[in-house]
Amino acid sequence: MPKFLFIFRHSTDPQSRPSPEDMQALGAQWHAWMQKFSGSILPGGDGLKPTGRLIRAGIETDGPYIEAKEFVASFSLIQADDLEAAMAIARECPGDNVIEVRELAGYA
Amino acid sequence: MSEPRALVEHFYRHEFGRLVAVLTRSFGARRLDLIEDVAQTALAQALETWSRRGVPEDPAGWLHRTARNLAIDAWRREQTHARALPRLANEAERDAEPPEARFADEIGDEPLRLLFICCHEAVPVESRVAFALRTLCGFSTAEIARGLLATEANVQKRIERAKARLRDLDIDFDALAAPQLRARLDAVLAVIYLLFSQGCHATHADAPIRRDLCDEARRLARMLVDHPVGDVPSANALLALMCFHAARFDARVGLDGGLVPFEQQDRSTWNWADAREGMAWLAKSAAGDELTRYHLEAGVAWEHCRAPTFEDTDWGRIAELYDALDRVAPSPIHALNRAVAEFHLRGPQAGLDHLAAVAPENVPTRYPGWHAVIGEFQFRLGRPSAAERAWREALRLTSAGADQEFLRRRLAECRRLLDPAADPNH
Repeated sequence: MPKFLFIFRHSTDPQSRPSPEDMQALGAQWHAWMQKFSGSILPGGDGLKPTGRLIRAGIETDGPYIEAKEFVASFSLIQADDLEAAMAIARECPGDNVIEVRELAGYA
Repeated sequence: MSEPRALVEHFYRHEFGRLVAVLTRSFGARRLDLIEDVAQTALAQALETWSRRGVPEDPAGWLHRTARNLAIDAWRREQTHARALPRLANEAERDAEPPEARFADEIGDEPLRLLFICCHEAVPVESRVAFALRTLCGFSTAEIARGLLATEANVQKRIERAKARLRDLDIDFDALAAPQLRARLDAVLAVIYLLFSQGCHATHADAPIRRDLCDEARRLARMLVDHPVGDVPSANALLALMCFHAARFDARVGLDGGLVPFEQQDRSTWNWADAREGMAWLAKSAAGDELTRYHLEAGVAWEHCRAPTFEDTDWGRIAELYDALDRVAPSPIHALNRAVAEFHLRGPQAGLDHLAAVAPENVPTRYPGWHAVIGEFQFRLGRPSAAERAWREALRLTSAGADQEFLRRRLAECRRLLDPAADPNH
């Protein structure tokens, strides 16, 4: 079955941050999403720490998203019959994330 | 990966408060912007990670480790910047000790200390409640604004003012010694009391969040009496008072979400677990010879709680308590409540006479309850036009949806008496 990488991006705008109570509600919605698609969600998804390092043309900086409008916050691995089926799962993700859905090429 | 599990209610909000308290110990109250940022980022990371992998065994421990690492990262970045920018060097020198050394491994009395910082005499009184709700209870600006019936801009301004004062003062978190804390205890009790009273004014749409304010007030008070500094009769009496009021919360709101008048409340729905807790605190508050306003108000609330029916209410005892309250803490609001007791003892004219005795310069003309009670007395005296005038004024001043609804119903009754022809039911 094809595998897909869901890349979740968040806005860096502090105004768009959910309040702790909003997070509680979001957490419960994510919990429900995970239960519903437990057969499709593969182990390995994770959140990403906010800080990292960036190498560009040999120059290292803090980054990578200090000045970006969005940053990659987390990812999930999903198995689904095809892109449309994967998109159907992505559409049910809670919150107003930007989600990039990419099929794994399986070259290896 | 562990099994996904549900988090306890308000987990994120309460953990935000604990993280801010612990980080304040590490970084000092003057760095509250950085501290809130770290706490918020730790929560966001928890949400992201747990949404993919499930909630870990010890979610609070996970959050605290994450916050600790974020704080250390932030501190290192500042050190790097300080070396590059000499004007920051002075600041960095003060923080030369890495936060590892200062980051408490266990939650101790940090939240309590932060509560006392919120009530520091340098923090403007009107800022304290908003600031405590943000830092200790983890409410967002929008949530605080809804809770306090204020605008978001106003809440933001109050919080910024508190932060600015604490930045200027640079209060040392660890230096808060017991005598200092004791001196500030009255201010802490006042803030908890205010928080609770704000929550008690239920409005139609925002009832749940305002109930939250009452729960937070009780949580903070329990935290306070759990510590030797706060375990004093006045604090115990305040907790008793809040418990007796909380026991009646469910009975106050009808099925339609509107307020149910006190005499029509279904006393079988009063929460006796709350009332019993209140009795235990009230018994504890009797230690020592101190009689505070909280003791007297708890006494009134207990009288209402213990009466099996509205008719059984001991209004004589309540009148005595309000007289004593007005001596301890003179206020026209106490006179108003005393007048209500007088009305139940000796009728509406006696109630009006009691209000007439309040000096004109002390009459709280902007307080809707004052006019609402006058309206009630006039109505019962058979003077619907005087009642209508008073209730119109009350309606003009009140902003709570449920209170407005109640006044509109009463005004409609006046109309029916004054103009029977216009009554469609007539």
